[in-house]
Amino acid sequence: MAVFFATYGSLIVAMLLAAMLALSLYLPLLAGQLSLASPGFYALGGYVAAIISTRVVPFDSGAQAYIWRMGTHEVARFSGPLYPVSLLIVEMLVAGVLSAVLAIVLGLPALRLRGIYLLLATIAFVQILQVVTQVLDLTGGAIGIFNIPQPFASQLGYAWVVVPLLLLSAGFVYRLERIRIGRAFTAIREDELAAAAMGINLAYHKVLAFTMGAVLAGIVGVISAHSINTWNSRQGTFDAGITYLAFVLIGGSRTFLGPIIGGIVLYALPEVLRGLAAIPGLPLALAQLLKDGRLIMYGLLLVLGTIFFPQGLIRPNLFRHRTVEATPRKIEQQ
Amino acid sequence: MRRIVARLSPLLVIGTWLLMACGAPTSSTTGTGATTSSTSSDTTTPATMTTTGGGATASSATTTEGGTTTNSATTTGGTTALSGDPVPLGVAVAETSNTAALGQEQVIGVTIAEKYFNDHGGINGRPLKIIRQDTAGDENGAINAFNALINQSKVLGIVGPTLSQQAFAADKIADTAKVPVVGPSNTAKGIPQIGPYVARVSAPVAVVAPNAVKAALKQNPQIKKVAVLFAQNDAFSKSETGTFQQTITKTAGLQLLPVQTFQTTDTDFTSQATSVLNQNPDLVIISGLAVDGGNLVKQLRELGYKGLIIGGNGFNTPNIYPVCKAQCDGLLIAQAYSYELVTPVNTDFRKSYQDLQKREPGQLAAQAFAGVQVFVEAMREVDKATPLKGLSVEAARTAINDQLLKGKYQTPLGPISFTPEGEVIQNDFYVAQVKMNADGATGKFVLLK
Repeated sequence: MAVFFATYGSLIVAMLLAAMLALSLYLPLLAGQLSLASPGFYALGGYVAAIISTRVVPFDSGAQAYIWRMGTHEVARFSGPLYPVSLLIVEMLVAGVLSAVLAIVLGLPALRLRGIYLLLATIAFVQILQVVTQVLDLTGGAIGIFNIPQPFASQLGYAWVVVPLLLLSAGFVYRLERIRIGRAFTAIREDELAAAAMGINLAYHKVLAFTMGAVLAGIVGVISAHSINTWNSRQGTFDAGITYLAFVLIGGSRTFLGPIIGGIVLYALPEVLRGLAAIPGLPLALAQLLKDGRLIMYGLLLVLGTIFFPQGLIRPNLFRHRTVEATPRKIEQQ
Repeated sequence: MRRIVARLSPLLVIGTWLLMACGAPTSSTTGTGATTSSTSSDTTTPATMTTTGGGATASSATTTEGGTTTNSATTTGGTTALSGDPVPLGVAVAETSNTAALGQEQVIGVTIAEKYFNDHGGINGRPLKIIRQDTAGDENGAINAFNALINQSKVLGIVGPTLSQQAFAADKIADTAKVPVVGPSNTAKGIPQIGPYVARVSAPVAVVAPNAVKAALKQNPQIKKVAVLFAQNDAFSKSETGTFQQTITKTAGLQLLPVQTFQTTDTDFTSQATSVLNQNPDLVIISGLAVDGGNLVKQLRELGYKGLIIGGNGFNTPNIYPVCKAQCDGLLIAQAYSYELVTPVNTDFRKSYQDLQKREPGQLAAQAFAGVQVFVEAMREVDKATPLKGLSVEAARTAINDQLLKGKYQTPLGPISFTPEGEVIQNDFYVAQVKMNADGATGKFVLLK
C-alpha cells in the first residue's frame, strides 16, 4: 500500500485537481456559456502562488524560515523547511479574488457574445495571458518560476487541501443547482429569450456563472503550482482547455457529478494503462502496446465515449428516482 | 436507490478492476522489483553475458539462452536486496507529444548505449536493463513517469527528463526519494541546484554560446553592430539569448541593436527581418528552433542580408537543411557535441547510430548516450567496491550518486566530469559552419578549429 501511494500520490492529487478544473468549466456551461477561459485563470492562480511563495515570502536558508519582508520591515516569519499551509490558504484567497476581479472585467464585455464567438474570445484571453507571461520578467519568461516550496512532506499530503476543497466545491455546485440562481442558470441555458422574459437578469447571471468558474480555476492553479513545484507559460494553455472540455463532455454536462467523474477517470486513464503494462506475466507485445500505445487507446476511448455516451457517462436520469419526487413539490411551493 | 446502484454497478466493476490493476504490481514488487517481464534467468557467467548482450533488445535476453536450462533466479533473500540481474536504469523522456522529436532522438541514444555497454561487459558481468517510461511533454507526465520508475521498477538511477521545465517538476521527486538523476538535455540555469541527487550531462547554454561569437569575430574582425533575435516562447532560446547578449556587450564590447522576438510557431518573419536589415548589422544571432530559425535565416537572406549569421543550439541538427536549403550555407553554430570528434567511444557511437538511422547523430542522442554512460561507469565502480547485489536499493542509489559525481568519463561528447553540485564540466565545445552541397538540399557541418 505504501508503494501504491508513493507511486500514485501525485496522480491522485492531480486527478482531483482535474475534477475541479472540469467543474470550473461546467459552471459557465450551466448557464449555457461555452467558455474556455478556465485554463487562463488556472495559469493566473499558479503564478500568484509561484510569485508569493518564491518572491514575496522567500525561504531564507540562513534563518531556516520563510520570511515576509516589506522593504526592511519584517511582517511575518514562519520557521521550518515546510511552506506554511496558512500561507497556501492566503494564496488561494488572493488568487480567488484576483480571478474574480479579472473575470468580471473580462466577462462583462465578453458575455455579450454568444456561442462560438464567446468561445473565441475566451481562447484569445488564454493566448494573451500566455504571451504576457512569456514577456514579463516577473513571471520568469518562457522558463517560468521554479523551486516553488512544498507545504507537505509527501505528494499525498496535498490531499489534506484538495479533498476538502473538492467536497466543498461539489457541495456548492450541488446546492447551486437547486436554488434560485441555479434555476436561473438552467433557464438561460435552455432558452435565453424565455429566461429574459421571465425577468431573469441575463448579464448578471452569465457573469456570475463565469466568475464562479474563474475563482475555482484560480484556486486550483495555486495548489497545482505547489504540487508540480514549478510554473511556466506552458501551464493552462488552449490545449489544456480542450482536455478539460473533454472531461466535462465525456463525464456528462447535465449534472455536477459528470465533470467530477469525467475529470478523475479521464485524467487517470493514461496512467492506469501505464500501470497495466507493468503487471508481471503479461505478454510482451501487450505490455508494449499498453505502455507505448496508451495515448492511442486514450484517444480511442474518447471517440468511443462520444459515440456511445453522447450525453456523457453520468446523466441526470441516473438519479431520476429522486428528482421525479422532488420536483413537483418544489414547484408547488413556489 | 436500488436502481442507482444497478446502473452504477458496471462502472464500479470497471473501476475496481482498474484499481486492482494499478495495485497489482505493488503487491509483487517485494522480490523482483526490477524485472517487468518476469522470468529472469541467471546470467551471471560471462559466457551467457555475451548472448544477452548480442540480442538486439533487452527483452530477448530472456529467451536467448540456447539449450541451457534456465533456473529461475527470482527468489531472493531480503525484501529490499537487489535480485540477481539485470541492473535496472530508468529512462524517462518525452516519447510522445509535441516534444517527441527531441525525446525520440534520446531514445535512440539510450538504446545504442544499452547495447554498447552490454557488449562491453555490462555492469561487471551483469547486464544493464534500461526501463523506459514516457513523460510526454508536460510536467505532470514527467512526475508520473519518475514515480513509476522509482517506486515500481526500483531503478537505481534515472536519465531524464527532456525539457528543463519538466526537470524542475520531476527532479524534485527523485531528489526527495534519493534517486540519482542525470539530465540529458536540461540546459536551463538552476537544474543541478535542485538537489544533491540531480546532475546533468548537457552543458548549460552559458558555456556553449560564447564560442560562436569568438569564431565569428575570427572570420570577420570588422564586426561592430550585432542584431539579436530569439523565440520568446521557448525556454531554451530565452536562456541562450541572454548569454549571447551578455557576450556581445560585456565580453566582446560590440554594439547590441534592439532585440527582436518571434514565436517558434511563426512562419512569416518579414517584419523582424526588415527591421533587422534597416539597422544594417554586421552579425545576426538567432536563438530559436530548427524550423522557425531556419525560416528566419532563409527570409533574412532573401531580403538581402549578406553578413554572418550565428545560429543557437536549436540549429544544431541536420533538420535545418530542408528548411533554409541553399541559404543555410555559411551559418555558424555552437555545439556541445560534434559527430566528427575522433575518439574510440564516439567512433563506435557514430557507427551504431549510422547503422540504425542512416544519418549522422545529433547532440540529443549523444548526450542521452553519455547520460547512460556515466551511470554505467559509476555502477561498475560501486560494484567493484561492494557488489551491488549485496546492497539494498536505497544504499545502491546513494552509493551510485556519490560515485557518479566523483568520476571522469570519456564520452562521445569528449571528456566530462561533474562539479560536486552536479553541473557538467565539459572541456570540448565546437563551432561548426554549415556547408551546403550544390543541390541545395543536403549539406554538412564543418568543424572550425
